[in-house]
Amino acid sequence: MSTHPTPTDENKHPALSGAKLLLDSLKVQGVDVIFGYPGGAIMPVYDALVGSGIKHILSRHEQGSAIAAIGYARATGRVGTCLATSGPGATNLVTGIADAYLDSVPLVAITGQVPSDLMGTDAFQEVDIFGITLPIVKHSYIVRDPADIPGLIEEAYYIASEGRPGPVLIDFPKDVANAITTERHRWRPYPKVKPEMGTAKNLAAAEELIRSAKKPLFYIGGGIAQGDGVHELRALVERTQIPVVSTLKGLGALPSDHPNFLGMLGMHGLKAANYAVQEADVLIVAGARFDDRATGKLDTFAPHAKIIHMDIDVAEINKLRKANIGIDGSLKKNLAALNPGKLDIQDWQDLCLGRRDQYEWDYDTPVKNIKSEGVYAPKLLHDLTRHAPENAIITCDVGQHQMWVAQHCYFDDPKDHITSGGLGTMGFGIPAGLGAQLACPDRTVITVTGDGSIMMNIQELATLNRYKIPLKIVLLDNGALGMVRQWQEVFFEENYSEVHLYDNPDFAVLARAFQIDAFTVTKGSEVTAGIEKLLAHKGPILMHVKIDQAENVWPLVPPGRSNADMMER
Amino acid sequence: MSTLQADKTFERSGVSGKLKVVLHDVSGTLLRTLGTIERRGYDYRDVHCTQRVDGDFDLLVQIEDLGGPRNLDTLCKQLERLYNVVSAEKVGRRKHAERA
Ligand SMILES: Cc1ncc(C[n+]2csc(CCOP(=O)(O)OP(=O)(O)O)c2C)c(N)n1
Ligand SMILES: [Mg+2]
Repeated sequence: MSTHPTPTDENKHPALSGAKLLLDSLKVQGVDVIFGYPGGAIMPVYDALVGSGIKHILSRHEQGSAIAAIGYARATGRVGTCLATSGPGATNLVTGIADAYLDSVPLVAITGQVPSDLMGTDAFQEVDIFGITLPIVKHSYIVRDPADIPGLIEEAYYIASEGRPGPVLIDFPKDVANAITTERHRWRPYPKVKPEMGTAKNLAAAEELIRSAKKPLFYIGGGIAQGDGVHELRALVERTQIPVVSTLKGLGALPSDHPNFLGMLGMHGLKAANYAVQEADVLIVAGARFDDRATGKLDTFAPHAKIIHMDIDVAEINKLRKANIGIDGSLKKNLAALNPGKLDIQDWQDLCLGRRDQYEWDYDTPVKNIKSEGVYAPKLLHDLTRHAPENAIITCDVGQHQMWVAQHCYFDDPKDHITSGGLGTMGFGIPAGLGAQLACPDRTVITVTGDGSIMMNIQELATLNRYKIPLKIVLLDNGALGMVRQWQEVFFEENYSEVHLYDNPDFAVLARAFQIDAFTVTKGSEVTAGIEKLLAHKGPILMHVKIDQAENVWPLVPPGRSNADMMER
Repeated sequence: MSTLQADKTFERSGVSGKLKVVLHDVSGTLLRTLGTIERRGYDYRDVHCTQRVDGDFDLLVQIEDLGGPRNLDTLCKQLERLYNVVSAEKVGRRKHAERA
């Protein structure tokens, strides 16, 4: 990752306000765009923003700012920056900060704060955002002296992106923003770099264990993309021919159609993937963390496997499943170094790949409950990414449509799939797509959303229009909080409770009210033309697709059960 | 309440121990450290913090876990992940906690 920075030299500069110094310091960090929303306590920064050369994107809700910064960060691998005022502005960022924490996204969130002498007095729009966010940040600051700003900002961006990335909060009192200074303080030394245990000895032991395996399997996660290890993983899979299963966030690390790829594992994983995990004798876990959505009931997960766990974050190793061999440090380096030689696993490969073919999704068989002329969402999504340019980015919201995206879209780069994995944040899709599209103006960016989720950040349609951001939105409208409806159907004896959205607005009309082009698709026969229209459109556009509420996500591992107990439609 | 207690997952595993955490400073870091211990599923029995001659702080905490898949080594690593935590380690012998 970034090199270890050196402390800023103590020196003098022309008289500058804290706010101006902040923006100058952000520019030094290469910040080219800030997603934000103004208000009282942050006004000095907005004043300094004019003519600063930094682009500001005005969202219509601070949650939109935070998630757009996440989309920007995940599409580029760079640190995303968001800005809000104190009090309600700051609390509106919280969901985005939590999302970045759970998905290890490099994010710097800057909040205005009431003047220092009023802090702690319950002043107007004062909340202790430092305290509120303590459990969901990698680090945080309250700025006490403007002369600290250059060093503090340098450190904040370093921490956000170093090692396992995460969010950093900077709370910026108004008086510090207004204060004039000619000094910059020498910043305290940076924390030590922690030793790595990915030593030659552990790598050799891992190679030995892999050589002894009859049924080795890779279980990969989001760490592959974040650790820039895609190339190294692919080469290792090529060298060893070991089959691979992936978490939601690892999708794309191998192309979806890669000959060794068995698919996503876990609650909505593919059968070939879950069965392989249950039978593996050595599981090589790379950049994944035994999340319960991936493992099902933990003590039934990979019951026969010895574990090799590779992760940049040593605190993940042995956290939930004891590793026989732990290898921390750079995944990129460790995957490149791991070289067990030629393996004799033909039978295992045949079994795994045979199953993959056996359980291949059948998009043409009429599906229960789907009226013959209706739209079958899995097929639509399958076709969507195969029509879209190869480097298209897909962001999505949370629910059944999110799982269909994971199961049926084609990915050949994990940065092309931007989904809220750890937090499962409804409302993520559109702002994340907006941020990704801004970061990558030459690429096609598509947001797949649901009729529940879209309403959680619908106001960002105004942002798309304001900046003419050509995001393409596919709204899969089943008239329900579908994922919750499915659980009520399957696990609560069809006792439907507050899941029917019979009173949804007309989404196409709504989009047009925001000056976003929109059209509605109701028949399977209209889908191909719809996709073509969507992809050919120059500006932002919404394709509103009516689908059958009764269509569920399969397979499904009931909560608290083993991944072997998959339910099917 | 009684149903909660009957549920095995709410039974404490009785992992208790004493941790020594060295903090580079206390403002912010103390709160972050204590918050992490609590959030990761441990209860305090005793907390002590003193400044050392080199300016760092020694934080001694006696804790007991709340059940589930937890271990003190992982907690130490999670604490060491915090900025301005210099080190975190188990000290003394492991004792079994009295059950409530
Ligand atoms: C902010 C937030 N609130 C509640 C939930 C719980 N939740 C998960 S999926 C879901 C339903 C989503 O509905 P929709 O966006 O229409 O997607 P569908 O499942 O119908 O495809 C809900 C309510 C959540 N994940 N996030
Ligand atoms: Mg829905």
